Amino acid sequence: MRILLVEDDPDLSRQLKLALADAGYVVDHAPDGEEAQFLGETEPYDAVILDLGLPKVDGVSVLERWRRENMATPVLILTARSAWSEKVAGFDAGADDYLTKPFHTEELLARLRALVRRSAGHAAPSLTCGGLRLDPRAARASVNGEPLRLTSLEYRLLHYLMMHQGRVISRTELVEHLYDQDFDRDSNTIEVFIGRVRKKIGAERIETVRGLGYRLTFPADEADETPAER
Amino acid sequence: MIPEALRQPSLARRLVVLAAGWSLAALVVVAVVLALLFQQASLRRFEQALGVLIDNLIAGSTVEAGQAVAPAFTDARALRAYSGLYWTIGEPDAKGGVRTLTPSRSRSLWDSELKTPSDLMARLRADPSHLVAFDAPGPLPGERLRAVARLATLEGRPFVFLAAEDRRPIDRDVRNFIAATALAFVLLGAGLIIAVVIQVRVGLRPLFDLRREVGDVRRGKADRLQTVYPTELKPLADELNALVAHNHETLERQRTHVGNLAHALKTPISVIIAEAGQQPGTLAEIVSRQAEVMRDQVDHHLRRARAAARAQGPGERTSVAEVLDELTHALERVFQDKGIAIDWDAPEELFFLGERQDLLEIAGNAMENAGKWGRTRIRVRAAPFGADRLSLVVEDDGPGLPADQRAAVIRRGARLDETAPGSGLGLSILDELARAYGGALKLDDSALGGLRVTVELPCAQS
Repeated sequence: MRILLVEDDPDLSRQLKLALADAGYVVDHAPDGEEAQFLGETEPYDAVILDLGLPKVDGVSVLERWRRENMATPVLILTARSAWSEKVAGFDAGADDYLTKPFHTEELLARLRALVRRSAGHAAPSLTCGGLRLDPRAARASVNGEPLRLTSLEYRLLHYLMMHQGRVISRTELVEHLYDQDFDRDSNTIEVFIGRVRKKIGAERIETVRGLGYRLTFPADEADETPAER
Repeated sequence: MIPEALRQPSLARRLVVLAAGWSLAALVVVAVVLALLFQQASLRRFEQALGVLIDNLIAGSTVEAGQAVAPAFTDARALRAYSGLYWTIGEPDAKGGVRTLTPSRSRSLWDSELKTPSDLMARLRADPSHLVAFDAPGPLPGERLRAVARLATLEGRPFVFLAAEDRRPIDRDVRNFIAATALAFVLLGAGLIIAVVIQVRVGLRPLFDLRREVGDVRRGKADRLQTVYPTELKPLADELNALVAHNHETLERQRTHVGNLAHALKTPISVIIAEAGQQPGTLAEIVSRQAEVMRDQVDHHLRRARAAARAQGPGERTSVAEVLDELTHALERVFQDKGIAIDWDAPEELFFLGERQDLLEIAGNAMENAGKWGRTRIRVRAAPFGADRLSLVVEDDGPGLPADQRAAVIRRGARLDETAPGSGLGLSILDELARAYGGALKLDDSALGGLRVTVELPCAQS
């Protein structure tokens, strides 16, 4: 398992490198944003531990660029900022987990283990539909390169639609696929979720076929792009 | 003893006293000058009338046997005894005075003489062409006369012609005039003072407005002075606004500074905790414990800095649905391994009246707490409540919280949820934030089986 550790504090870096090595990881260390950017783009890592407060380029910008370039490696963010607005910004940039300083090394290791295990489970190829792109490995979607922020139900809905793009999918089929057996279905009608997803990906991409259901299409101006599965 | 209110300098009093003092002085001077002018003008006219009588007298007089003989008739009043109008003819005596000639006088004088001042001759000679006027006692008791004299030469001999009239009527006229003028000027003065007081009150009103507005700014009712002030006060208002802005800026800088300091401390504390955790022995234990205390202190002060940074002025609006969507996305990743499903619902047009990062903090802490304790799911509902409130309800299907522990969990700094991973202050932060927005936090049982957290917050009317 190869890990990229991006941290500018030398003492913390040394400690984490030791702890990670003890846990059996191969660790590369980048002390600033520029080097992290370069290493992340060129080397195949299984996970990245990314400090947000970095010299030269800050962590969020590094992460955003990676995600724009479709780098799917799971990223654990490490930061001193613990406000929810900052955590949300980190997740929006494409983080997979978030740990606030100061932390216990054991917790970092536990989170990292979970992260690696999770991403290893997925091996499906990414799906595209016009400018819309969905990466099941990272459970992430984007429109024209811009990452989408989807909740899990929305992600599942879009995933299902993309797997069956071009076909009309009935509401019953969607409900059965989206919800667990015991899930509270009363208030969350499919319409609400279709509405939310439409708002995020562009309303014209999900067509309502009256009386039958929904169909994922792509706008005419994106037709020249390769639409098939990859 | 001067009352406190008078000892304190007052702009209004200063303006009123200055204006009133000046007006009163001017009024008194004008009144005195007017009275003097009136008196002099009256007297001159009076003397001119006597001069006409003298001219008639001179014209009608002849000299017979060295004696001046006056005409038989000059004025009807001069024929009646003590009528108040008198004339007489005199000649210079040896001592430089005037000796009146007994037969040559008006009948009104009867048997009395017109008393002349001793220097009369000298004054007549000094200016022979003009009349010389003087005061003299009259033949009746209390009678005061105004007399004029003229030197005339009849047949080579110098004679002094004198005419006098009771001056009391004109003195009375002058007194009446002075009384009327004084009354008018007193009224005018009083009017002026009232006008000045009103003028000062009205003129200084912008100052009172300024004071009220500065008070509003201090109490947080307004964030700056907004009234359009007169030219003289505008620079002051602008300076005050600049001062307020400068204060805000300084405060903001200091808060940022505190935040940066606290955040900068977190990495070293991390290092110390990790390092001490790996070493055996008492020293490591003490270091560990103290580092934890430091961490709590840093967290505490960060929270306070954040709470203090909250804008108290008219706030912004934050879409509740947007915030819940963002948080759901983030929390699903946080609790990915647990597989917690987050089911949220909020009307699209529901807005929280306050800052976005505070709603993120409130809902984030509530939902994170639910995620920590819940087994499979979290339910989040936001809805308008009453006229200007909204309620945010976060439920989980975890073990719940016994009623007797609920109060303790909210209490600031209580850490009942220490057993769950992460720092254990979520619900007390939530309570602190909700209170800062005039809201309330309520804990009870959820239909899902776990805890139900209800936060009441201000809602923006759309």
